[in-house]
Amino acid sequence: MSVLAGLEENIPSLRRYAWTLLRNSSDADDLVQDCLVRALDRIDTSHAKGDLRPWLFTIMHNLFVSRWRGGKVRAAMTADDAEADLAVSPAQPASVEMRDVLRGLDTLPRDHRQVILLVAVEGFQYDEVADMLGIPIGTVMSRLSRARDRLRDFVEGRERPLLRRVK
Amino acid sequence: MTDPGRPISDDDLHGYVDGFLDADRRVIVEHYLANHSEAAARVAAWHAVGGALRDAAAWEAREPVPGSLNIARFAEKRGTGRWTPARIAAGIIVALAIGAGSGWVARGPGIPTGIDAVALEAAMAHRVFASDPMHPVEFGADQRAQLVNWATQRLGRPVTPPDLSKAGYRLVGGRLIATAEGPAFMFLYDDVQGGRVSLFIRPMQKRDMNAAMRPVRAPGAAGFAWAKDGLGVSLVASDPTATLHALANDVRGEV
Repeated sequence: MSVLAGLEENIPSLRRYAWTLLRNSSDADDLVQDCLVRALDRIDTSHAKGDLRPWLFTIMHNLFVSRWRGGKVRAAMTADDAEADLAVSPAQPASVEMRDVLRGLDTLPRDHRQVILLVAVEGFQYDEVADMLGIPIGTVMSRLSRARDRLRDFVEGRERPLLRRVK
Repeated sequence: MTDPGRPISDDDLHGYVDGFLDADRRVIVEHYLANHSEAAARVAAWHAVGGALRDAAAWEAREPVPGSLNIARFAEKRGTGRWTPARIAAGIIVALAIGAGSGWVARGPGIPTGIDAVALEAAMAHRVFASDPMHPVEFGADQRAQLVNWATQRLGRPVTPPDLSKAGYRLVGGRLIATAEGPAFMFLYDDVQGGRVSLFIRPMQKRDMNAAMRPVRAPGAAGFAWAKDGLGVSLVASDPTATLHALANDVRGEV
């Protein structure tokens, strides 16, 4: 398979992850673009044989960390900003569950958000996530527990809407 | 590690939700959940959280990939000389396929995985067999018992073709399909006009044990693919039809 085609094939899932991580489409596409540029710099024929996906996600994670430190990405959006953004989108997420879970996602620390997205949405195994993020597998599991329990509160409606009104 | 009596931990519950437990441990966890309603409620909620997250992510992913993410353009711009014209051409063709909104199934020479692989296999099987005038199926609907028995044996789990007669489709029969990830089964249905839909089923391997429904679009095959409880399913027709989505939703509830 052509390495270019291999990269191309991963763009939808890289984008999906960047978007759910950053919750802002233009930042997300910037991040994916930087990731692809760096991947093109480093890719060689040895990558053509294996699965590119974990490697690409690792690159994107490293870029995400360095950008965040450099302050290039906007501060995490508040729930209200997120709602404003959704309001101007061409289509709103169809279900209450989707809106609630996204609100919950906004309240998670970013290192917890990464873990639950990589496992629950992108379908990576726990040890792959540990490798990607450079953390022990025990940390992956404990963050996964906290993230899932926290989002549970949102999906089951315990965090809606009273707590959000407290400013 | 194999001590069957070792206590159930959060790790087991995650492994259960994500489909990473081996069969023995899964049975133990299921038994535990049957007797611990609080843990069972937690696991059910985790399932719901995962489904909502995947739906929300898929909702965003429906937007077409913008031109700013055209890989061939990057490669050209960088001009490192490492990219042969043929490689760039391949990239451009692929980029065009995406730009045209033809979905991620018809995306050139890449090797898809997970539910995307199921979608591609289903589209290929439909294209090859649904239009075959001589032997579209190996067992006809008149040998339904053998068909069900064979499918169940090869896929290692109980499989029966759903009844689609409410939607006007009648079972023609089924056949075994070979895929890179093991045996799959295709059930073929037709309607009174001779229109055919095929239902493609195979167990998922590690990735995408559960996956939200997504469109399948390839030349000569259009439909939907999803995965539920470790079973990958795709419903495909020769042309995109308005009723296929509703039918896929019905089938998802049944299979």
